[in-house]
Amino acid sequence: MLIANVLDSWRAIDRPLLLLLTLLATVGLTTLYSAVHLGDLHIWYRQIMYWCAGIAAFLFMSLVPLRFLGLLAWPVFLVALLALALVPVIGEVKMGARRWLDLGIVHLQPSEIIKWALMLVLAHWLANREASDWKTIIVAVLLVGIPAGLIVIQPDLGTTLVLLMAAAAVLMAGGFPWRYFFGLLAMLPAAGWYLWQHMHDYQQKRVLMFLDPQSDPLGAGYHVIQSMISIGSGGLFGKGYLHGTQARLHFLPEQHTDFIFSVLAEEFGMFGVCVLLLLFGLLIFRILYIASLAFSRFASLLCIGIVSILTLYMFVNIGMVSGMLPVVGVPLPFVSYGGSALVSMLAMLGIIARVGIESRQQLPWQRGGSALL
Amino acid sequence: MAYHQLNPYELRKRFDFRLLLFYLLAAVLITGLLLRMINLQWVQHEGLRLQAENNRINVVPVLPVRGEIVDRHGKKLAANAISYQLVMIPERVQDMEGTLRMLNANMPWSKRKFARIKRKIRHARKDRPLVLDERLQWHQVAWLVARLHHYAGLDVQAATHRVYPYGELMAHAIGYLAKVRKNDLAQGYLADEYVGRSGLEREFEARLHGTPGSQQEEVDAYGRRVAILHIIPPKTGETLRLSLDVDLQQAAATAMAGRTGSVVVMDVHSGAIRVLLSTPGYDTNAFIGGVSGKQWNSWLHDPQKPLLNRAIQATYPPGSTWKMVSAMAGMRVHAPLAHQRTVCHGMIQLHDRKLRCWKRTGHGPVDMHDALMHSCDVYFYELAEQTGMKALITEARRWGFGGRTHIRLSPEARGHLPDPDYHVYRGKKRRWFQGEIMITAIGQGLVTATPLQVARFAAALANGGQVLEPHVLAAAKPHVLRQVDIPAAQLARIRQAMFDVANTPGGTAYRYVHDAKYPIAGKTGTAQVVAMSQTQARYTDKGVKTQHRDHAWFMGYAPYDHPRIAFAILVEHGGHGSSGAAPVAAAIVNAMKL
Repeated sequence: MLIANVLDSWRAIDRPLLLLLTLLATVGLTTLYSAVHLGDLHIWYRQIMYWCAGIAAFLFMSLVPLRFLGLLAWPVFLVALLALALVPVIGEVKMGARRWLDLGIVHLQPSEIIKWALMLVLAHWLANREASDWKTIIVAVLLVGIPAGLIVIQPDLGTTLVLLMAAAAVLMAGGFPWRYFFGLLAMLPAAGWYLWQHMHDYQQKRVLMFLDPQSDPLGAGYHVIQSMISIGSGGLFGKGYLHGTQARLHFLPEQHTDFIFSVLAEEFGMFGVCVLLLLFGLLIFRILYIASLAFSRFASLLCIGIVSILTLYMFVNIGMVSGMLPVVGVPLPFVSYGGSALVSMLAMLGIIARVGIESRQQLPWQRGGSALL
Repeated sequence: MAYHQLNPYELRKRFDFRLLLFYLLAAVLITGLLLRMINLQWVQHEGLRLQAENNRINVVPVLPVRGEIVDRHGKKLAANAISYQLVMIPERVQDMEGTLRMLNANMPWSKRKFARIKRKIRHARKDRPLVLDERLQWHQVAWLVARLHHYAGLDVQAATHRVYPYGELMAHAIGYLAKVRKNDLAQGYLADEYVGRSGLEREFEARLHGTPGSQQEEVDAYGRRVAILHIIPPKTGETLRLSLDVDLQQAAATAMAGRTGSVVVMDVHSGAIRVLLSTPGYDTNAFIGGVSGKQWNSWLHDPQKPLLNRAIQATYPPGSTWKMVSAMAGMRVHAPLAHQRTVCHGMIQLHDRKLRCWKRTGHGPVDMHDALMHSCDVYFYELAEQTGMKALITEARRWGFGGRTHIRLSPEARGHLPDPDYHVYRGKKRRWFQGEIMITAIGQGLVTATPLQVARFAAALANGGQVLEPHVLAAAKPHVLRQVDIPAAQLARIRQAMFDVANTPGGTAYRYVHDAKYPIAGKTGTAQVVAMSQTQARYTDKGVKTQHRDHAWFMGYAPYDHPRIAFAILVEHGGHGSSGAAPVAAAIVNAMKL
């Protein structure tokens, strides 16, 4: 009975989503191998393990009914918030930032969980409300503001900004009025100034470096310059797999994590970049399409929250390694090395798969249909 | 307006419109990235490609110089000497085969060493400098430097290696270095670094090691270094100034004259260790560049155990040096005998057994003072009857026996104090037998102590009952672990007796130390190694196998009236404490500069 249900669910899973994930896994692991093959290959093996764990998480989440997920939204969010609040108290410091909790077996990064929990709770909050009355908006702003405040003091500016923008996307999808939106947009310069005043030295340096990387070619601008050289020197078709000279010289200390895109760009050239961007683009479109099919508003908003985070990570990461954005330390989804980011990302895609499954299992007249697509 | 009051059709329309905006936004973002890529990879490609070719910057780590270790007078105990190394960065080598062939033909490498080097190159990180040969001779340096420009990826670098000017003498205190192991690399050490593996080199690794720097080099397309762009200099490790006095240690070693044992000398007021000697030693210089397996095994299997730091890692029965503990226990519990005399007939009858005094003919009438001065065993047998086991053990614990001294040298042995209430043997408890309590009172039986503990005990007797934490750094502050509360009059009795041991004719050590430069107060000890049958001779006589002969102890302090140093000397199988160990104390006091 149970097994039959499980198989029914998986039979209804969105095939294009699976295909895109498989291709992204291939590209990610291929690139990571190139980045680490001269050094510590264990990183690559571990990433394969993370993929296995992530696929398990994906399949598991694709079985969790959305109704049940809705019930879980608040408890999960509150627990994650508590964990996040504990970080300044008992967290571990790694590389100058206090982001980690040591739970004995695993080292947990609560900010990694809270962003998904926030999407969940925000979708749940707006599921039967329109974000146009003050009460709804104020609660939503509190929901976003508290975790964002806790993350920004860690300090982790990149995650905070991604979180704020993804939350804004969910709010917009939830009916946030345009006049408020443009009003806030006008206030942005003031917010930027305030943020600048409260940035840590290294963060300010990174922003300045972004404005003019050549001003300190061996200091903070070094990474970006070297990354741009390696992307640019890749040309149209790249230098060939495992033949990237820039990567081989280990100019980047983080070439298997944040700067992995430049390895890909150097070795596969614009051709490889286009393939990667195409895969990301198709994945994003597919998720938006699933969001439009969803029969409940909760499911649609959840999809939008998840896809926003995915999109922003992708955009901010590639933007920063190619010198378009300041270096904020955001990984490239599916490609950068890292267990918790990958597993949680795949678990969230599992939720999206679930949305697809449930909308397909509905009778045609119960499905949410899009007037436009 | 609440959600359910809104027109569902209107809502859906609004949602779909905004969803469309998301499609557009995603498309715009991706297009933006694509435009940037076109800019970099197509428009700017030529310039960036040239930069990648001609202007590769590589960051190479630079090893720090290890801090030196000096004694309290600034004499170098562990220093650095310059050596020249042959270094290779494997990924810069164009023709690995040819380079290796050239090196093998011209360097005096054995087949095994060459195989080892090849293996090392295969397994190491390709972007980091790899040391192929650590100690180049001058003519090799000259020869190599003349040919380096033909071989990319090779370099001759000046580096430092450790030298121990007092190798064997200071071996146990200073310790030695060894090449990094795999788990060190995980902690951030670089390949080819040396790490403190023993002694102070290990204990103060963090302070001695220093911080590696880095060097950003511009290399050309063939991997040759064109220029050094930027150097973050490594930070030299801290110089460690010790409280040890190498001259005094030398005097102690000379007086030990090749015998196995240990000498500890401690400042009675600060707890600073002046001498920490364990003989035989081993030459720590042999560890530089890797100790040979043969040498290591010979040390490991030497019956004299040269690798053992006897001063802190070996425990011995304290023998008669422990009698002060028993005497103070007696006074503390107001044992009648502490203020009376008894008569020593050379032995005491206990049921069907005889417990002997070391003097077969007996000491005659003795009180506490005489018993300490002549080291009479019978007096202490009888005193133990009155104090009981508990008082003895508690007193010993007060003076720091049975627990680590927490000197910053590890591993340290605790020594053993038995349970005051029960004899525990193979998990079973029983009451102490009378005879066991009696021999405990003369420092035999189950009690054991390290020479360092005994020296600290002597220091505490000298400074009025302050049990100090021993330390080896010159800068360390004195740290009193415990102040033993003992009436001054009682302590004075003990001290007077210790003075008479050394300076009054008839005292056990009188012959050997009374003419030392400063008056010594001390106590001899002769600790049994093999259980003595009461009918046999003591194991001090000639004709008894060396490994069965007694250990000789001498502990005390000097000068008597204004104590400065306390010492403990242990000579393994040295026979009597008086003739075996006391002369070493005289030599130390004679070499001492106040």
